[in-house]
Amino acid sequence: MLPTTVLWAIFLLPLFSLVFIGLILRPFFNNYPKLSGYTIISCLTAALGLSIWVLTSSDQFPIGSTIEWAAVGDFKINLGFVADRLTAIMLIVVTGVSLLVQIYSQGYMRGDPGYHRYFAFMSLFTASMLGLVLASNLLLVYVFWEGVGLGSYLLIGFWFHKPSAAAAAKKAFIVTRFGDFGFLIGILILYFTAGTFNIAELNELAMLGVIGGTALTLAALGIFSGAVGKSAQFPLHTWLPDAMEGPTPVSSLIHAATMVAAGVYLVARTLPIFVSSETAIMFVAVIGGVTAIFAASMGLVMNDIKRVLAYSTISQLGYMMLGLGAVGVGIAQGELGEEFIWLAIAVGMFHLFTNAFFKCLLFLGAGSVSHASGGTFDMRLMGGLRKYMPWTFVTFLIGALSLSGIWPLAGFWSKDGIILRAWEYTPVLFWLAIITVFMTAFYMFRVVFMTFGGKYRGGEQSPGHGGHGHGEPHESPLVMVFPMVILALFAIGAGWAFWAGGAFEYLGGYAHGFFDVFTNVGEEPLPLISLTIALAGIMLAYAMYSARWISPEKVSQTFAPLYTLLSRKYYMDELYERIFVVRVLHRGLFYVIQTVDTYVVDGIVNGLANVTVLAGSGFRRLQTGQLQSYGLAIVLGILTIMLVWFVYK
Amino acid sequence: MNFWLLSPELSLVGIALTVILLDLFIQQKKVLAAISVFGLIIPIAFTIALWGENQASFSGMLVVDNFSLFFKFLILGITSLVILSSMDYARKFARFQGEYYALILLSAGGLMLMGSTGELISIYIALELASISLYALVSFLKDPKSSEAGLKYMILGAISSAVLLLGMAFVFGITGTTHLDQIADKVGALVSGGQLWDSPALLFGIVLLIAGFGFKIASVPFQMWVPDVYEGAPTPITAFLSVASKAAGIAVILRVFYTAFGIAEISADWAMIFAVLGAISMTIGNVVAIAQSNIKRMLGYSSIAHAGFLMVGLAAIGTLGQSGVLFFLAGYALANLGAFIAIIAISNKIGSDEIADYSGMARRSPVISFALAFSLISLIGIPPAVGFMAKFFIFNAAIQQDLLWLVLIAALNSVISAYYYLRVVKVMYVNEPTSEEPIPSSIPLRISLAIASIGVLVLGVYPWLVLRLAENAVAMFP
Amino acid sequence: MSLGIEHYLILSAILFSIGLYGALAKRNAVVILMCIEIMLNAVNIAMVAFSRYLMPDTVVLTGQVFAIFIMTVAAAEAAVGLAIIITIYRNRRSVDVEQADLMRG
Repeated sequence: MLPTTVLWAIFLLPLFSLVFIGLILRPFFNNYPKLSGYTIISCLTAALGLSIWVLTSSDQFPIGSTIEWAAVGDFKINLGFVADRLTAIMLIVVTGVSLLVQIYSQGYMRGDPGYHRYFAFMSLFTASMLGLVLASNLLLVYVFWEGVGLGSYLLIGFWFHKPSAAAAAKKAFIVTRFGDFGFLIGILILYFTAGTFNIAELNELAMLGVIGGTALTLAALGIFSGAVGKSAQFPLHTWLPDAMEGPTPVSSLIHAATMVAAGVYLVARTLPIFVSSETAIMFVAVIGGVTAIFAASMGLVMNDIKRVLAYSTISQLGYMMLGLGAVGVGIAQGELGEEFIWLAIAVGMFHLFTNAFFKCLLFLGAGSVSHASGGTFDMRLMGGLRKYMPWTFVTFLIGALSLSGIWPLAGFWSKDGIILRAWEYTPVLFWLAIITVFMTAFYMFRVVFMTFGGKYRGGEQSPGHGGHGHGEPHESPLVMVFPMVILALFAIGAGWAFWAGGAFEYLGGYAHGFFDVFTNVGEEPLPLISLTIALAGIMLAYAMYSARWISPEKVSQTFAPLYTLLSRKYYMDELYERIFVVRVLHRGLFYVIQTVDTYVVDGIVNGLANVTVLAGSGFRRLQTGQLQSYGLAIVLGILTIMLVWFVYK
Repeated sequence: MNFWLLSPELSLVGIALTVILLDLFIQQKKVLAAISVFGLIIPIAFTIALWGENQASFSGMLVVDNFSLFFKFLILGITSLVILSSMDYARKFARFQGEYYALILLSAGGLMLMGSTGELISIYIALELASISLYALVSFLKDPKSSEAGLKYMILGAISSAVLLLGMAFVFGITGTTHLDQIADKVGALVSGGQLWDSPALLFGIVLLIAGFGFKIASVPFQMWVPDVYEGAPTPITAFLSVASKAAGIAVILRVFYTAFGIAEISADWAMIFAVLGAISMTIGNVVAIAQSNIKRMLGYSSIAHAGFLMVGLAAIGTLGQSGVLFFLAGYALANLGAFIAIIAISNKIGSDEIADYSGMARRSPVISFALAFSLISLIGIPPAVGFMAKFFIFNAAIQQDLLWLVLIAALNSVISAYYYLRVVKVMYVNEPTSEEPIPSSIPLRISLAIASIGVLVLGVYPWLVLRLAENAVAMFP
Repeated sequence: MSLGIEHYLILSAILFSIGLYGALAKRNAVVILMCIEIMLNAVNIAMVAFSRYLMPDTVVLTGQVFAIFIMTVAAAEAAVGLAIIITIYRNRRSVDVEQADLMRG
């Protein structure tokens, strides 16, 4: 029997860690930085243990505990936590990934003067995220939602002496708040129409058709706008790549497993509300599909390893939205019964589950690589690291294969689920998804070949952050490698039905048999097709970037006729890259996409800001300092109000 | 005549006179502040004792009900925090400290009366009692900026009260009475006779009333004085102006418009006027605040923006809107006072109100900086600070009244406002300090800062007690 | 022709407009203060006229009482106003309101 206090304990443990670090360790034990790391690790270990308990108690779901916060008139608010299958999976993801990231941080942040502060912020962030996952009513979700935003603001801006970090933190905070206010309005509309904040009740009312119509559509779109902001969906995605300015473990926690997943989780949680409005769920699916392909195409041209991963995250989040939307559209159009809600949730959340592991792994790998090559994230300065850091290489490779969707790794299974449903219910989005598969495989292996293949290209010349200042790259310490290995195991096995609790089936989906992809091609050709396309992407990346095995010094000699012959392959590749990639893709398609992103999307977001600032200085001029002009404003104001009212009457 | 009902105001005036009198004998001027603060316990006690009363006296000129008592309590609280935080600042004008405290108390008396009268003449008198004291207080420093601020406030205030009087004259001319409830009867008769809009005089009168009260609460287009006066006035007075004066203005607006013009045929119209003015106020306030470099001036624009948020609540006719406005005022008062008290402490030391000079303040004075940052976070409206709950109730009320467009504008404005508030936080926490000297602060100032900050947190986490008081307070509206 | 309420009201309107114009157009702070007094007195005339003509039968003198209060308050306002103008004069040796633009934007 699972006592409900367990739910509270899961939330309170990281909160305790925050209070303990903030009030006791930082003031009194500032010289023992390790203590704060141990505090948060032990708290999170306990939380993980409790989360596993919750996961295995699925026969008692849903369980919850509620306290009446207060009631004024007929305005009642109950605060409460609730656990069901969806919650249980998310609890595992958040506590598990967060725990591994904290362990990794022991190595990564060693010697940083803000060690205590870092772990305090991490505790705050994790506590908020757990609160968000457990909350049983939308108002409480919103409060933790803002808490997560605040935590990310503090963490992204952690190295606040870097102006770019401070700017990125602010950008992340403000851009996501655009979405947040839509979310708040959505909540209020729901409360207005349904008279409750409780998610379970709202879902039920929506499914019964008690609430519906325009109000429901507006509310759903409001909630989705919150999700768009937090999950960095088009067009509010611009903050996420910039947010890579924070410490790498932060990137991996925030941008792989938790904060950005909050948006997807929210949509999954309130999916019955979405499927009650065809417009709303279609919107979710389309935004997801567009984001998936758009962000993936941006990932093709980045040279900063973390930025590639950032765009990849955005793209995968789009995938999850697409997955939620695809089945949802089927339900909304009446092709599927309402009992398929859990299938939709399973399709979207399963990818979130697997992605959390391999994306976190990739980020930690990137951090490890950067740690080794003197603090740079520029892939052009890396290369050949396979020799120096075999563990990082192997785990990173597993992550990349999993992300690309190669059988039988975790990513294959979750991606398979989404593509299959997209084909069935939203064929247009299916094509977007399948192109994205190709792009994903390509850019991930471009990263692998540029970073680990070829020869080492020297790292950063000037000592960057941390200033390791070493000539030879080296493998990261055990404390960093260990979490990567664990995550790699999950990246391999998290998708298997017979392992990791069979997360997909746990949620209510049904996966293919292990070998169905090869043995059942006649009936189900899609898995094999997507696998083939992913492999094609990898092959293209190999063809283009494995050429870097020929040392850059000899590139200059390519024009020597004899050498040209010898290095014909290289020459061809280079030609290929020059003409196809540089001319057609870089200058053509990518240029257009990049321009659109920089000037149109970013432009609109920044433009709004600029217009606001300009308007500010414009209105400032009216404030002349002349008191009589102020008086005139009063008189003109009165006359205008009278005139408008009079005409209106 | 029931003087018991007037006891809070009477005792307040008594304390003010005592302070002036004692000023002649007492050399240690801090004692005067102490007398003022401890003296305030008397009117606060009277206010608490009166809670639950519902009576009118002095032939309807004085109305004591939970609504007026809520505002009395609010204004007395604000006054005591302002006086506590003034004690360091008051050294700047060594000679006239007695007058300074007495004027604050007298002004508070006027503001309290504004909310507790049901009659136009007494509204005017109360408003002028508050205003004239404030004119003097704004120019109290007598330096170029302060006297210029006083001049602007005084002349514009006088023009606006002339406008207000003209509006009252029109209303009086149409209805033949200055008592709000009788005005309501007469307006009701006009409505049922179908001759409400036969003459535009009543409409003119209502618009002029909106203008006169709009000046008090800093609503566009009657807000132009705000940034200049806020910048020039002594900082404690700016704090007082920004919360107490606004609260009393809102009290009068609620009382006059709901009592006298509460009938649906008119209320739909004035609600629309408030909605539009509110939308413009918050947009202009927030947008121009971005361009400011002086923190007092920035908070001036922020005060205009908050007037806009308050008007969202005024536009949302009904109990939810009314109680939302009252709660918003309480939350705003705490957050804004917290910010201003921190600013007083900082400017006492560095002698500047430029945001740029706040760089690295977090390292010079972590506690004051944190309090300031927390207050600003509340002003943005982020949980767990009270600003979130305050906006939440107001937005909720507006959505229940189908004012979705207004809430969308308000929500967008909250996002814009994050931009300039966070800039101050960034400067304090990110930039390098210009010196390592800590910021000294006296114990009274620390107490007032602690009360404000804890209040912001407590009301944000547990808003229900105050909300329930607010609901009791507005229960008397028809 | 006898004097009706409209004559008083027109007089009041004219006076109010003159006062408002002066308050917004004159540069000397003292003159502005005087113009504001004109506005207030215009209101007084309207108040008394309303009281006299609309409620001739009653003994209620609300309008007249209001006018007396306005005059009293106006006197206090003028006193504080003049004091402020004196501090302005001490600071900048001028009472020209157009020069008082230290704070703007």
